[in-house]
Amino acid sequence: MRHVATKTYTPDPKPLTEPVLLILTSLADQPRHGYALIQDIGSLSGGRVRLSTGTLFGALRRLLEDGWIERFEQEDTSRQKQAYRLTAAGRKQLQLELDRMKQLTRAGITRLRAGEAV
Amino acid sequence: MKRAYKFFLLLYPREHRNQFSDEMTRVFEEASAERRAQGWARYVRFVFAEMNGLVTGAAGAWLGRQPASQVDGASPSGLPQELAEAQQRVDANIAAMVHAIANHQFEKARVHSHEERQARENLRLLRQKYGISD
Repeated sequence: MRHVATKTYTPDPKPLTEPVLLILTSLADQPRHGYALIQDIGSLSGGRVRLSTGTLFGALRRLLEDGWIERFEQEDTSRQKQAYRLTAAGRKQLQLELDRMKQLTRAGITRLRAGEAV
Repeated sequence: MKRAYKFFLLLYPREHRNQFSDEMTRVFEEASAERRAQGWARYVRFVFAEMNGLVTGAAGAWLGRQPASQVDGASPSGLPQELAEAQQRVDANIAAMVHAIANHQFEKARVHSHEERQARENLRLLRQKYGISD
């Protein structure tokens, strides 16, 4: 009988950095290549965040190493134009971060309202 | 500008360059074309941010890097020990140089640059000794 080892995924409890959060969010709906990521992140952040290639590819390398994203094979993919997509682990990590932010937002709004009422 | 960009890419560890340099250059060219069309002021700001991003990105790549030799205590790729150590001295000096540049410690960076040249020459001689090409 062949024994297959299954890798269990343990989510990282630390909050994500802004570039990582934006990259994961950008890849949540579809695979994207480097330049498309920069453009989409600019649009997602309302033009506030413009990632440099050094920051983008540093983050992509770490995300690949952590298994949160993977290279995505496309028919027209060349070495110079590589697409990336979220893995199940990356999707889970993004979901956890969004839940954390939602909880923080709720708490912040509640306290603001309480402060206004005083 | 592409030449300057490629020069800055040399600050990265070899594994990172092998994996990403073509792709990074391509993305830089696409973003350059877009920024040039938006006027020179934006283009100059973009180039400055890119070069700054490369220096800090390279520092991060070196500092966050864990050579295989440190993972399991083995010499990388079965190289002779003194050759592996010489390669590590080159890598350590580059890492220290990039870190110093990222922190605007240019005098310190020059010292590491000098030591890196010496370490690289030592590595070249050892490669010759063992008949290993680059």
